[in-house]
Amino acid sequence: MSSEGAASQYQVLEELGSGSFGVVYKAIERSTGDVVAIKHIDLESSEDDIQEIQQEISVLSTCASPYVTQYKASFLRGHKLWIVMEYLGGGSCLDLLKAGSFNEAHIAIICRELLLGLEYLHQEGKIHRDIKAANVLLSNSGKVKLADFGVAAQLTNIKSQRNTFVGTPFWMAPEVIQQAGYDFKADIWSLGITAMEMINGEPPNAAVHPMKVLFLIPKAPAPRLEGNHYSKDFKDFVSQCLVKDCDRRPSAKELLRHRFIRSAGKVEGLRELIERKQEWDGGKMKPSHPRLYEETLNNMPKHEPDEWVFDTVKASTIAPRKNTTKRRKLSVIHANGQGITSGAEEAFKQLDLKDAPLEYSSPPPVTVKKSTIRKQPSIMQLATPTKSRQASSQKKPLQPDMNFGNSGCSTVRICRRVSDNSTTAQVNSDISVPGSTRDENRPPMGGTVTKEAILGRRVFNRIVDPSFQELHAQTSNQAKREALSRLADAWSALDAVDPEGEFQFIKTMMERVQADPKLSSHLTPVKGTSRDGTPQASPQKSPTKLVLAQNNPHLRSHRRRQTSMAPEPEFKEKLSNLPGQAVPGMEHTKQLADVLYGRWAGGLRNRWPAV
Amino acid sequence: MAFLFGRRPRTNTVDLPKQAKEQISRLDGPAGAAKAEELAKTLAQMKFVLQGTQEVEASPEQVYTLVTGMIQEDLLYLLAINLQRLPFEARKDAQVIFSYVLRFRPPTASPKSEPIALSYVINNRPEVFVELCNGYDQKESATPAGTVLREVLKSEQAAAIILYDDPTANGNSKGLTGIQLDSRQSGEGVFWKFFNWIDQGSFEVGADAFTTFRELLTRHKSLVAQYLSTNFDLFFDKYNNLLVKSESYVTKRQSIKLLGEILLDRANYAVMTAYVDRGEHLKICMNLLRDERKMVQYEGFHVFKVFVANPHKSIAVQKILLINRDRLLSFLKHFLEDRTEDEQFIDEREFLIKQIRNMPLQPVEPTQKPALLGSQSR
Repeated sequence: MSSEGAASQYQVLEELGSGSFGVVYKAIERSTGDVVAIKHIDLESSEDDIQEIQQEISVLSTCASPYVTQYKASFLRGHKLWIVMEYLGGGSCLDLLKAGSFNEAHIAIICRELLLGLEYLHQEGKIHRDIKAANVLLSNSGKVKLADFGVAAQLTNIKSQRNTFVGTPFWMAPEVIQQAGYDFKADIWSLGITAMEMINGEPPNAAVHPMKVLFLIPKAPAPRLEGNHYSKDFKDFVSQCLVKDCDRRPSAKELLRHRFIRSAGKVEGLRELIERKQEWDGGKMKPSHPRLYEETLNNMPKHEPDEWVFDTVKASTIAPRKNTTKRRKLSVIHANGQGITSGAEEAFKQLDLKDAPLEYSSPPPVTVKKSTIRKQPSIMQLATPTKSRQASSQKKPLQPDMNFGNSGCSTVRICRRVSDNSTTAQVNSDISVPGSTRDENRPPMGGTVTKEAILGRRVFNRIVDPSFQELHAQTSNQAKREALSRLADAWSALDAVDPEGEFQFIKTMMERVQADPKLSSHLTPVKGTSRDGTPQASPQKSPTKLVLAQNNPHLRSHRRRQTSMAPEPEFKEKLSNLPGQAVPGMEHTKQLADVLYGRWAGGLRNRWPAV
Repeated sequence: MAFLFGRRPRTNTVDLPKQAKEQISRLDGPAGAAKAEELAKTLAQMKFVLQGTQEVEASPEQVYTLVTGMIQEDLLYLLAINLQRLPFEARKDAQVIFSYVLRFRPPTASPKSEPIALSYVINNRPEVFVELCNGYDQKESATPAGTVLREVLKSEQAAAIILYDDPTANGNSKGLTGIQLDSRQSGEGVFWKFFNWIDQGSFEVGADAFTTFRELLTRHKSLVAQYLSTNFDLFFDKYNNLLVKSESYVTKRQSIKLLGEILLDRANYAVMTAYVDRGEHLKICMNLLRDERKMVQYEGFHVFKVFVANPHKSIAVQKILLINRDRLLSFLKHFLEDRTEDEQFIDEREFLIKQIRNMPLQPVEPTQKPALLGSQSR
């Protein structure tokens, strides 16, 4: 499986960004001079079954469509997997959205191309399952291509369904969330959400916590574009994509006949978006240096001195031990006694019993468990062969499994990415608290807005919600995560109904903490010590940091945008984003923020000790 | 798909297999490329008959006609050996055709009966499965052949045919009836080629071949247990030297993991006890613990623990552990220390430390010996 030489066929240039599994670089194929994109996946950092990663390759490599990013090759280099794909210089639609929302003409073109791509995929028995602006790439000439097949599914029977819970919450179709079995139509829903994302700059409910969105989507009526600043055709197109009953939702083929799509222009028109983005980038400060590819040498500290000794006749190693043998003999006899031997024997027998302490089930556990789950249904399949065709292609368990392989990973990743998103939204809405229109999901505060209420909401936006997200991202245990998200939901309900009470609650809590000398000494960190090293981060934004590399140009521009967007009167608020700033009226929350920040920084250090 | 039927007169379903056969036979001729295109169209039409579209249901009568026609013309075999010569889309169509045909039961048949084409291949044309495996010889055919194989392998008989394929076996007693479960393999059969496909092929081929290999070795428990017991030496010699010691990270990591799974499978108890009896196996395994890559260490640990937990350690194994006792104890204490969340791993590591610490200082004759597998008559 190795082809080390293959890597030398490419001259790797700068970093383009980091995707679901690794870093993507621009590169030149030496033999042809073609520019390509190469994704480097560090397999060593992945606990997942390598098979899950192969899934992406196998889906991509069986696609040949002008509407799907073209796969070229893949090979191993040490413990890194290189996936070579065509280079698309226009960037993703999400990147392009940074320079502002798209107009309907552009969206019509993109949607048509995406529908052509989906028509191809669906006819091939493939479901993409993660359609969103971030996964739509443009070539320099404006061609639109579907990318990132990390969670795509291949069906062997075009009529079969899937149950696996994958995708990105905001874009997920109701039937995917409900795990009642879904098919190609799930992609159509996501396309509708993507259309809304492109016109509004973000998907519906972007300000809602992603976990909460999962409850919302199946329950709430389907999102719609409303108001007369959208054309009738566009509104109708979106509403057709977003039909909650998937049986009544049209297929890609049918949607290609929609008026909105038929009237779409040529892809060359999309060059405007690319140029606009370039200008927008130009207006910003240039990212200091492109990140260049550097060969990472694997300098694992090797503790060579004591290699294993397999040579039984090596006298020197045995000799010194002889002296101690006599002294230990007694204990040897003891050790040989019934208790221990039978203990070991017991444990050994249990090796193949299911609940033994040494049972091979956890961390690789996860995967092994999976394979057992996987096999059980197969037994049933033998008994009920009609079902077997459906399950036949599925390597994944039929049970709802939030964690299966890479998608589990990607769901987590997605949640984090999402938390980044929602933080953004919160920060934005926060900046314009009085008369905010962006924040549709919170009931607007009525006429009786007290100072406490504003502060209460602020506590939620700045302290409570980010802390929940941060903790949630750091918690791996499923049960704990669930409990946490339930608490977060409850809290956000309180915030919606009674921000004033929320403020009182925090206040009382803080007072009580301070009243207890023991607790207050533990909960109040020594100033300054907790925040060395990462000065650019403020506690409130921590989830953002977990997602993007520090020097990710997108992040930087994003941060700049946030700061530049803050209007003059909110100057103080802007400053309050920076650590060490006292916010008037908020002194009491500062300690809490410090604690949270300290904990977050600690977690970060654990994860990346080198940083 | 409709465009196919708009332009040209549609071939009757009945004639499709014959037409495909004729086109395949001319692939070598002067107009091979043109024939390949025609064949691609025929296959596309066959696929349409079999699976219908999202809008149109397939008709069971038509499918039945097609399936029986394909059996008559021996088309499954012809497709299997020519897979790599088909154009890109046609290879995928061929894969779909295989899947549908091998799953098809006439509507009147009992849902528990064996699909007719599958039954035909198992009993009369086992070469189809062997040739599908040989699809791993070429990059082009690897993925479609592998996909079909993994579906076929749900049938225990199909798995047996692949495991027991052996060209050197005397006589022409090929196929299912010729299989003797306890006959020792020469290592020339198609199953043994998987070791090379996994390790020597390109990444895509190797990865796909490994997935199929794994399916072969884990799905049908008693079949595999018998097979591994019979061919113990041959199998583990190849497994250890070609896969576990492979230069390729993926091959190495995946095969260590699969080894752990095989050994800890209850059905393979006899294989496990025989495996952990050998000192040289322990050596390989202990070297994995020292590999510079963490995931290799980790997967290696799950094999190593079996040796240590064995209450009937052979003298050879005890000796190795005893000579390295102090090294092991201090090594394990700090082994993969950053796995602080992984409670099971930590428990197991503690358990191993305790076991090693409590070992008697002199090797003790084990009270129970493993069954002699495979090596008996060597």
